[in-house]
Amino acid sequence: MSLWTRIAGWGALIFGLLYFFVPLGGLFEFSLKARRGVYSFDAYAKVLADPQFQQTFTYSVVMALVTIAIGVVLVVPTAFWVRLKMPWARPYVEFLTLMPLVIPAIVIVFGYIRLYNTSSFLPLTGSVMGTNLLLAFGYTILALPYMYRAVDTGLRTIDVATLTEAAQSLGAGWVTILGRVILPNVIPAVLSGAFLTFAIVIGEFTLAALLDRPAFGPYLQRIGANKAYEPFALSVIAFGITWGCLVLIQLVSRLQKTAQRPA
Amino acid sequence: MKQEPHAPRLRLPLTWVGLLPFVIFVVMFLVLPTMHIVIGAFQTRDGAFTLQNILDLNSGTIPSSYWISVKISVASAALGCLIGFGMAAAVVFGAVPRWFKSPLLTFSGVASNFAGVPLAFAFLATFGPVGLVTVLLRNNFGIVLQRDLGFSILSFWGLTITYLFFQIPLMILIITPALEGLKREWREAAEVLGATGLQYWRMVALPILFPSILGTFALLFANAFGAVATAIALTGSSLNIVPIQLYAQIRGDVLGNPHLGYAMAFGMIVVTAIANIAYIWLRVRAERWLK
Amino acid sequence: MAFLTLTNIEKSFGAVKVVHDFDMSIDKGEFVSFLGPSGCGKTTILRMVAGFETPSGGTITIDGKDQSRLKPNQRNIGMVFQAYALFPNMNVFDNVAFGLKVAGKPRDEIQVRVTEMLKLIHLEHLADRYPYQMSGGQQQRVALARALAPKPQVLLLDEPLSALDAKIRVSLREEIRHIQRQLGITTIFVTHDQEEALSISDRVVVMNAGRADQIGTPFEIYNRPATRFVASFVGTLNLIEAKVVDAQKSTVAIGDQMIVLGEKIDLAAGSAVQLAMRPEAGSILPGATGNTTLTGQVVSSHFLGSVIRTRMDVAGNTVSFDMFNDPNMAPPAIGDTVALKIDSADLIILQA
Repeated sequence: MSLWTRIAGWGALIFGLLYFFVPLGGLFEFSLKARRGVYSFDAYAKVLADPQFQQTFTYSVVMALVTIAIGVVLVVPTAFWVRLKMPWARPYVEFLTLMPLVIPAIVIVFGYIRLYNTSSFLPLTGSVMGTNLLLAFGYTILALPYMYRAVDTGLRTIDVATLTEAAQSLGAGWVTILGRVILPNVIPAVLSGAFLTFAIVIGEFTLAALLDRPAFGPYLQRIGANKAYEPFALSVIAFGITWGCLVLIQLVSRLQKTAQRPA
Repeated sequence: MKQEPHAPRLRLPLTWVGLLPFVIFVVMFLVLPTMHIVIGAFQTRDGAFTLQNILDLNSGTIPSSYWISVKISVASAALGCLIGFGMAAAVVFGAVPRWFKSPLLTFSGVASNFAGVPLAFAFLATFGPVGLVTVLLRNNFGIVLQRDLGFSILSFWGLTITYLFFQIPLMILIITPALEGLKREWREAAEVLGATGLQYWRMVALPILFPSILGTFALLFANAFGAVATAIALTGSSLNIVPIQLYAQIRGDVLGNPHLGYAMAFGMIVVTAIANIAYIWLRVRAERWLK
Repeated sequence: MAFLTLTNIEKSFGAVKVVHDFDMSIDKGEFVSFLGPSGCGKTTILRMVAGFETPSGGTITIDGKDQSRLKPNQRNIGMVFQAYALFPNMNVFDNVAFGLKVAGKPRDEIQVRVTEMLKLIHLEHLADRYPYQMSGGQQQRVALARALAPKPQVLLLDEPLSALDAKIRVSLREEIRHIQRQLGITTIFVTHDQEEALSISDRVVVMNAGRADQIGTPFEIYNRPATRFVASFVGTLNLIEAKVVDAQKSTVAIGDQMIVLGEKIDLAAGSAVQLAMRPEAGSILPGATGNTTLTGQVVSSHFLGSVIRTRMDVAGNTVSFDMFNDPNMAPPAIGDTVALKIDSADLIILQA
């Protein structure tokens, strides 16, 4: 390895480290400047005490949990069924699950507003509950690529066919098989998908803003337009949540790897 | 896993039932809305077929918004590719200690998801009018960011540099496996045949990596093109990019013709679809070579 | 005269010594195989000749020139890898032309030389193919052509046949030897397959745990193994336990049969000694020649077609011997007592 290569390598890395950590540092530093002349957590205190924050954050957390639930109920049986009965369909199903990455969220929500408005066959936007449902479905679609890939990877490592046959020979029906045999074995994969979904939903803006729902994303943006220091404190919190979710994913996948070994 | 014999005709419908919930859901909440938009782009207010909406895209501020969107997407994708490649290569080829790799990949996983409003604030807090770096430069070096370096975070380059925060990590995540896939034997074979390091890279490694790099460029392009939240949070509506225009249109029909909104959305789909198809095609090619 | 010499070569990775004090000189045009199990150091030595590893001690010279300061791309050596290592982004023609292109040869010279090489490996019709479109055997032939195109002074092959099917292995190794003879290029061939090494080499180096246990012609290695390792690694071997009776008269006892050996014994009377014998060494046929007889009972007899493999029990040792099929003679039956006639020189004392 020549000296130049080493210098270039270190240069790239140091540049990268600076580029990524300076803005994060700046964000954190700015969030501490609420009180004149001295560093303090005042901005955080104000944010956490703000009833709007509590409402929108709770709303988004609930939404995230609902989305995860819908996602699991939708994806796990489907991935299982495809693997078991229709392996030839896998490429097509995978293609479908990658579509949300191709079609921008803003287009999807535009479609929702136009298609499911009060004069359509499914007037979801006509009611608050309906709109909430629509938002949850939208989130599910956004998280679909990640959830499906996580679950599919998890299913790949267990012998779906043999487990199913064993359960069937012991008299189990489909619901029992899915709920008691398959699901417990793919929990780490499902958790990975769940944490990623959580991170996506908490930070999501476009869907919530255009469907006019009181979620965390639009709240962030509104605060940013109006207040001086609170938005930065909020952003630090948001970043912390994203970071936390991904650390949990790493932990879960490491647990999964060690659990597989005895098999 | 034993191969199941093809089910006799009568049972075929039953197997499909298992797939039904998923298909119905995806059709209702992804396919139909998208199709509605696509078809709507070709319709007039009364439902007749027309190409006028598409043609109308070429009016007003729309062409310039597409152009700016394309420029930002190209710029952030190109820089993301370059810098991401440099960082990934530095770690994979050992120019820096090997233990850097795992933290780098983890951080890239986090950073690639850190988009939207918080990202905008991070850069505002650093390079904005009273940002950390801005103040530092002014107080310690007497450099005023806007005046002396002509740089403002609330501009084309400001947005581009902000987008790099998730573009670079995405590049690192995708290109690291490709770099690790470069077999040691290729390098040794080239060396034994007389090639220098530079010749190896020029004649063997870069051509092998090229489909992956180009494909990732396409992906980064699509990624930047569709991003809304960061742009809105950072520049308000002052920077005229397509997602922001579409956002305004959806919100309040500022263009006076709802079907024009459809056409704009359709335009976005076309652009991101082309980019993603390019990505997939190049990925397939790269994998075929490397088998 | 020696073209490639390795003198006092040693290699350590950290605290682990993988090659101990290796000495060898190879003549120009000679085909030498390095034979041994995984981890014996044979590939390490090859890579040191190529320049990918630096010896911890000793020198390597090619044509009189010390190679230690030369980088791999300066040594003018051809190398063929186990995993073919063809450049996937280039077709066959460009792969073979690579070394010439890098050396800056003019286009028409490259054209001539590459065509010549493709003819040598009988693959002119595949010049436009890409590696992923070819079989393993074809890829390896192209790799050979690529290595030979820049007219290297030495050819190194690192287990080139290990990744191929058995049938291709046999035909390809003969092709490699044929081409090597035609070009007269000094060659080192690393393998763990003893049949490969024996069938095509001028000399074989049997390596064991970083040391050369024996260097010799295939005939020598097989018939006069210097160590127990060589004897057991190369070909099948019968191991017979015996006890020294009279060292002066070279007499040992196998059970209660007194056998006079063909070589001197250095051990004291009463000490245990292990003898080695090849399965084709003895015969039970009437009219067989030999000055020594081993008597025992037949334990099993397998009819393999042209060869009959019989196992007999000699004082507790299982001795396996082969004989050609004779349509006029039935194979021995289990329980038969047979007398195996051998030459005393066929019983070799194994060093520890």
